[in-house]
Parts: sequence; C-alpha cells; structure tokens
Amino acid sequence: MHVNLIRDLRHDPWFFTGLGLMVVFAGVALLGPVLAPFDPSDISFAPISSPSTAHPLGINDGGQDILSELLYAVRNTVAFGLLSGLTALLIGVLIGAVSGWFGGLVDAILMRIADILLAIPAIMILILTAALFYPPPYLLALILAFLMWPTISKAIRAQTLSLRESLHVQAATQMGGGNWHIIRHHLIPEMFPLYLIGFAAKTRMAVFMEASLAFLGLFDPSRKSLGMMIAYALKYYYMDIWWNWLMPPILCLSLIIMAITFFAISLEQMVDPRLREALVEKTA
Amino acid sequence: MVSGPHQTAGMLSQVITFFLAALTMVYLSYALPRFLPGDFVTATYAGANVTLTADQEAGLRAYFTQDEGFGDYLLRLATLDWGYSYAFLTPVSDLFLGALPWTLLLLGAANLISMSIGFVTGVEAAWRHGSLTEKGLVGGMTVLEGIPEICTGVILLIVFALNLQWFPAAGAETAYSDLGFFSRLIDIAHHLTLPLATLVLAYFPGNFLLTRNSMMMVIKAHYIETARAKGLPPRRIRYAHAARNALQPIVTRFGLRLAFMITGALVVERINSYPGLGTLLFNAIQARDLPVIQTVVLFSSLIVLVVILGMEGVYRIIDPRIRHAR
Repeated sequence: MHVNLIRDLRHDPWFFTGLGLMVVFAGVALLGPVLAPFDPSDISFAPISSPSTAHPLGINDGGQDILSELLYAVRNTVAFGLLSGLTALLIGVLIGAVSGWFGGLVDAILMRIADILLAIPAIMILILTAALFYPPPYLLALILAFLMWPTISKAIRAQTLSLRESLHVQAATQMGGGNWHIIRHHLIPEMFPLYLIGFAAKTRMAVFMEASLAFLGLFDPSRKSLGMMIAYALKYYYMDIWWNWLMPPILCLSLIIMAITFFAISLEQMVDPRLREALVEKTA
Repeated sequence: MVSGPHQTAGMLSQVITFFLAALTMVYLSYALPRFLPGDFVTATYAGANVTLTADQEAGLRAYFTQDEGFGDYLLRLATLDWGYSYAFLTPVSDLFLGALPWTLLLLGAANLISMSIGFVTGVEAAWRHGSLTEKGLVGGMTVLEGIPEICTGVILLIVFALNLQWFPAAGAETAYSDLGFFSRLIDIAHHLTLPLATLVLAYFPGNFLLTRNSMMMVIKAHYIETARAKGLPPRRIRYAHAARNALQPIVTRFGLRLAFMITGALVVERINSYPGLGTLLFNAIQARDLPVIQTVVLFSSLIVLVVILGMEGVYRIIDPRIRHAR
C-alpha cells in the first residue's frame, strides 16, 4: 500500500505544489528571526510610511517594520497550527486505537465523548476561554487540539476494527502478545497515511482558527499574527496601504492554508480505495 | 438493512448525545467564570473601554460573587434573564435577539445557495469525468477551498465597495431611510450581497468537491447501469437515480464543517460590519463586556446543536433506504 501510494503521489501536481509551499513556509517559520531586518516590536520608525529600500513593505501605524512583522506572524501562525495539529493527532490516534482494540464499554464511552465534542463548535469554547482568562497561545492551541481529535479517532478506530481481524494481528494475539504490545507494534505502525491526512486536516483547521481569533482580537496584541495584521491594516483601508500592508498577510495566510489543503486533498484521493478506484479507472 | 427499532434507537442515541453536548456548553458557561482568580471585576474592567459607576461596580461584584446554584442559573437562562451589558447599557437578551435574525438570514442564505450550487455543479462535473471542464472545475475549486474567508472578504470589500462602489461597505440596511416594503427588501438584499458572496465562495468549493467525489463512487454502481440499459434520459439517471445517493455525505459532513463555517461567519460579519451576532461578539470582546460574550457564545452554540440535530432528522425522513426500512 505504501509503495503504491508514493508512486501515485509522484504524478500528482497538487501534492507537489502543496508540499513545496509547505517547505517554503516551514523555512520562513524557522528562519524568521534571522531573516527579519528589524525587531518587529521596535516602534522607532515614522508611522505609515510607504515602502523604501530599508523597509521593503513600509512601516505600520505603530511605527514597526511590516516585513519583520510579517515574518514573525508567519512563524507564530505556523507554530500554532503545528502544535495543535500534532497534539490532536496524538490524542486521536491513541483514543482511536484503544477504542477499536478494546471495544465494549471503553469503546462506547470514548466514542460517546467523541460525538459530544464533535457537536460543540470549537470556536465558541476558544472565545470563552480567551476572553475570560487571557491564556498564552500554546494553551489555546492545546485546548483546540482537545476539541478536534474526534474525527481522527473515528477514522483510526474504523481501521483498527478491520486490522483486528487480519492474520498477522491474530497471530500476534495467539502468540500471547499483550494489548499494549499489539497496539504499539502492530496497529499504530500500520496506519501511516491516515495520520498524514488527519494531521493535515487538523493543522489547516488550527491555522484558520488562529487567524480568526487573532483577527477578532483575542490574542495578546504584542504577539504578531497574520489575522491581527489584517485587522489592523483594515482600519486604514481608505489610505494607500493595500499592496504593502494589507495584501502581504492576506497572501501568506491564503498560501499557507492552500498548501495544506492541496496536500490533504491529494492524499485523501490516494488513500480512499473506493474513490481511488473510481477516479483512476476512468482516466486511465 | 436498518430495521425499525434500530432506527428509533439510533435517533434516540443521537438526541442523548446532543443533549449532553448542550449540557456541557451550559455548564462551561456557568462554571468557567467561577474559576477566575482574584477580583474578577477589577481584572476585567480595569483596562477595558467601559467606565463603571460605583453602583454598577458594586452590582457586578455582587453578581459575580454570589453563590448561584446550577439550577438557579438554568432558570435564569430559561427566563431570558441573561444579565445586563455595561458597554451597551442594554439587557443582553435585547442585544442578542436583535442581532440573531441578521445572522440567521446571512448563514441560512449562504448555506442554501452554496449547497445547491455545489451539489448541482458537483453532480454535473462527476458526470463529465475526464473532460476539460471537469478538470478545470476541480482545479479551480481546490484553489478556492484554500482561500480563507478573511482573505476573500477583505478583497471583495476593497474591490466592490471601495473601488467600484457597487455595494455598501457596512450595515444591513440604509439607516433612517423610510422605505416602502419592497424597496426595503431590495435595500436589505443589496447590503447582504457582499457578506453573502464571501460566505458562498468559502462554503461552495467544499460542497462541490464532496458531491463530485461521492458521485464518482455512485456512478459505478450496478443500478446506474440498469437505469442506462432501460434507456432512461441521462438527466433522470443523474438526478433521480444517482445524485440522491450522493446527497448523504453533504448532510453528514455538514456537522463536521460547522466549526469552519461558524468561525468564518464571525469574521465575515466583522469585515462587512454586518449587524449580526459576529459583530456583536466582536464589539463585546473589544469592550470586554463579559455578560454579552457569555450569552452569544452559549446561545449560538445551542442553536448550532439544534440545527445539526434537525438536519440529521430531516435526512432520516427523506432517505428512502431508511423510510422504507420496515
């Protein structure tokens, strides 16, 4: 399955565009502090200046260099998305595998909790906690992860149920493999592409949520973020600031979300066997 | 297949899930403010844009330190006694009920339009699989799916409201204009266009891709071949035979996509200054007006729960596989 997957993905332009963009943004996120020409919170420049050689994107209303601001904002947004997506993946895989393997009451309780969390709009809980407690961003990312795991668990659980009947898992059980041994060594390594799909979907959601929360003003204003930059620039929409101040964060945010979307959509098509069969046969 | 008693049990289990979800939301909204450390009133209102008189401060302090039981809280919610907004100087229930219709109009219209367009184009694209039109559509929709509402909203606002001035940049209707019934409707539609277009552009690609994918699987089923062999007109095969079976994923994924949809709606209302719950929430957040934030969060979540449950109920009724199960 894995070999075929890689071979098919090699011919998918969406996958490469997505992956390429992701690598670029990961690079920007990692090297942001090195690339940034100024300290993003330095307010010593003339407010609302047009682009110049020293400041390629100009200066914002607070007298800060917009390019430096943008680099830090990409870094914060990407970090938020990755932390949240990764945590959701870990919780989701663990609960999905446990639920599918043990079945019975454990399964019933875990999946009921998953259904309840699925029904609650995550943004509402985030707004409530952010408005009440002013939590640090990483805490909000973790809360979001705690609200997003159910869809991953459901996919993993379904896969675990079918793996449970497979020969090598049965053999492992016959030879006296314990529950945790089987979950760790036989179930979890088997489901690799599913993790990438779940991770991509949740990271996309988290980036989107972070931008929206920042746009609504729920983060610490000294923390740079793409959503917050758009919100601040929008206050001066009547001035000539669109191309150097408003467009860059809009473009970056769209490209980040686009990259993850392309990646997720092309993986999904390759991994869903029914869909894949339907798509490949007719085009071939 | 699905039998009668199973059916009822499934529905009951779903109602229980939604009831528990609603209870969780109500309890969080009751319990979270109680976890706040220190003096809540100073902490929240010291740096806020709201200036409290001594009376209001004493009132707030009494309000947040009283040991109200969960039962009393529920009773208060049920009787529309949702507290008093200190930023807007109005009962919270008035603010909420005043903003709700606009949000319902915007979200309802956006969903209806994007679902029907997404569904029809999805079905047609799957039917023409492999053609240039289909490839172009799928590519275009995949790109659109990657552009968040914040970005489309701002771009549409700048192009159509500021540069071309075709549509108003803010509000839901022209203030103080004493219009007749029909011209008022047109005025409302005119104000609705930009936020609605933004949301449709955000929701519709997802619906398109989902429909097209499930259609691709349905088309290969044997009963479609039978229908073709009977010589039925293609449009009848497409919609009466195939498409109704591709409808299910749209409905089941509705609940899952909701987290995106609600977030997007909040942002779009703010961008277009549309006077719905999103703008109310935004203003309340700016002023740290806690009773308003609490109410909007709680009741919009409850409305969302009711809507998802209703959708699933409707689907159970219209799906012939379930209706004819007994």
